[in-house]
Amino acid sequence: MTALTTAGEAEEERERGVRTVGAGWAGAALGVALLVALTASVCLGSTSVPLGEVWSAVARGISGREPAPGTQDLIVWQLRMPRALLAAVVGAGLGLVGTAVQALVRNPLADPYLLGISSGASLGAVSAIVLGASAGGALGLGLSSAAFAGALASFTLVWTFARRGGGFRPLRLVLAGVGIGQFLSGFTHYLVLQTGNEQQTHGALFWLMGSLGGAQWSTLALPTAATLLATAVLLARARPLNAMLMGDETAAGLGVDVTRLRRELFVVTSLLTGVLVSVSGAIGFVGLMVPHACRMLVGGDHRRLLPVSALFGAVLLTVVDLVARTALPDQELPVGVVTSLIGAPALLYLLDRRLERP
Amino acid sequence: MRIAIEGLEVRLSGRTVVSGVDLLAEDGEIAGLVGPNGSGKSTVLRTVYRHLAPHAGRVLVGGTDIRRLTPVESARQVAALPQERGTDFELSVREVVAMGRTPYKRAFAGEDAADRDTVAGALARVGMAHAARRRFSALSGGERQRVLLARALAQDPKVLVLDEPTNHLDVRHQVELLALLREQRRTTLIALHDLNAAASVCDRLHVLHEGAVVASGAPREVLTPELLAEVFGVRAAVVEHPLTGDPLIAFDHRAPASSEVVAVS
Repeated sequence: MTALTTAGEAEEERERGVRTVGAGWAGAALGVALLVALTASVCLGSTSVPLGEVWSAVARGISGREPAPGTQDLIVWQLRMPRALLAAVVGAGLGLVGTAVQALVRNPLADPYLLGISSGASLGAVSAIVLGASAGGALGLGLSSAAFAGALASFTLVWTFARRGGGFRPLRLVLAGVGIGQFLSGFTHYLVLQTGNEQQTHGALFWLMGSLGGAQWSTLALPTAATLLATAVLLARARPLNAMLMGDETAAGLGVDVTRLRRELFVVTSLLTGVLVSVSGAIGFVGLMVPHACRMLVGGDHRRLLPVSALFGAVLLTVVDLVARTALPDQELPVGVVTSLIGAPALLYLLDRRLERP
Repeated sequence: MRIAIEGLEVRLSGRTVVSGVDLLAEDGEIAGLVGPNGSGKSTVLRTVYRHLAPHAGRVLVGGTDIRRLTPVESARQVAALPQERGTDFELSVREVVAMGRTPYKRAFAGEDAADRDTVAGALARVGMAHAARRRFSALSGGERQRVLLARALAQDPKVLVLDEPTNHLDVRHQVELLALLREQRRTTLIALHDLNAAASVCDRLHVLHEGAVVASGAPREVLTPELLAEVFGVRAAVVEHPLTGDPLIAFDHRAPASSEVVAVS
């Protein structure tokens, strides 16, 4: 009888309780997982590099010594290391952006791309690809800067529309983002179709689907800085973010200047999204899935959720990129294709689960 | 602490929603706002917890105009329980109550022992200590309101502001919540739909009608058949509650639905 009751209570606890592990444990476990994932990502690929060789190549790279003769050092230090690190940084950034956007529009199923920023970035990047090096070179614009310029332009448009009528309301923000995003995507697709050059079309499509193939040491600095900065800015606002989950009036009653907080969140998430998209293309679903998974892990308090989401995003995208590089024998998949293939079913599962709940 | 509202005027999208509103709750008093839908009760309360800025007039908490305080400073004086009742996010009961500490914490500051005590004490005061780890969205309506009251208490305010806290609760939970509120002995502004509840719980009533206060005073003085006819458009007798002696409003549910309701004296 006692056993029955206990089982029943445990059942109820599972059903109704918020199951969380300590944030410290989650952080430590994810930190270890990240190291493992990064190591695996550097070791594995079209040519496997033994672990010992990887460490010595990394040691040589860090100390700035001459690389050992042969291709292994080159593969490890010039190709795989920057790529694995970029995957981790972009994953962390997407995890953060996702968490912030979901609080910003107060919807746990919102996606960073909802705000239309990535569409602007994509348009910028595709313009640069299609118009080619000639026009881009003349303007002094590389692919990344064109993408970032596009992100800023769409940001300004969405901002202007969302602000009309005063305030900064979630629904208006989302609708402005979706509307402008669609408009810009239309342009992007038109541009891609207009390209006669097959290689350009291929390049543009690959980029639109999200890819980490362009990773170099030099492309790491900006996204790393942006992600670290955003982490600090968001963590400083963790409590106001919590308050906003309950509603604008509740947050106001807790001393939060809601309009200002939304404005700050919009700026931070847009800039970070712009930077991320400019180095990796539009990688979908990471920003949606990561905060969700992390809420199940450590609960909804942003003081824990933000750092854990960043770590989890880093692990996830590192692993996904490894899969994208190695799944098919002699072809690399765009990483965005893999995230969509994993992410869309996961989203449907979540929707289904929400239906069943009281 | 005493709270007074003087000459309050609020405009929303150019339309004047309330004007010339004066109201008061003395230290430790529960002051009720009653009035038909759209009479401006919520609007008045929203200016107190600073969701809305008044166009004219002042909200004085212990003699200080709250507009002279920063949002954080006034959130240490006034805690609100607005009509927002839920969240789609997975928050535990404890996390919701801990939000009450928001106005006291600097950025990056963790929870200290005093915060934990305050949160635990607030949960205990509303009888929800056992549910600290449960998911907020899985609670019943009555439990939810108690947790939200605990959040307001964890804010350690001088004044509580509650907007229709008993809406959508069954009778038992309505009675429980209002009893809990009386036990707090804290200056309280509360908007209530249920006039009988207001007559029992409130020390003072302010009747709002079309954005203005039309009557203020002790429930017994304010709730007259004439006022009920004029403001609420109902025919009713006011008698003495057989158990408590409070005013008890007996509505005439058979009265014809006409535009002119004549009061019974």
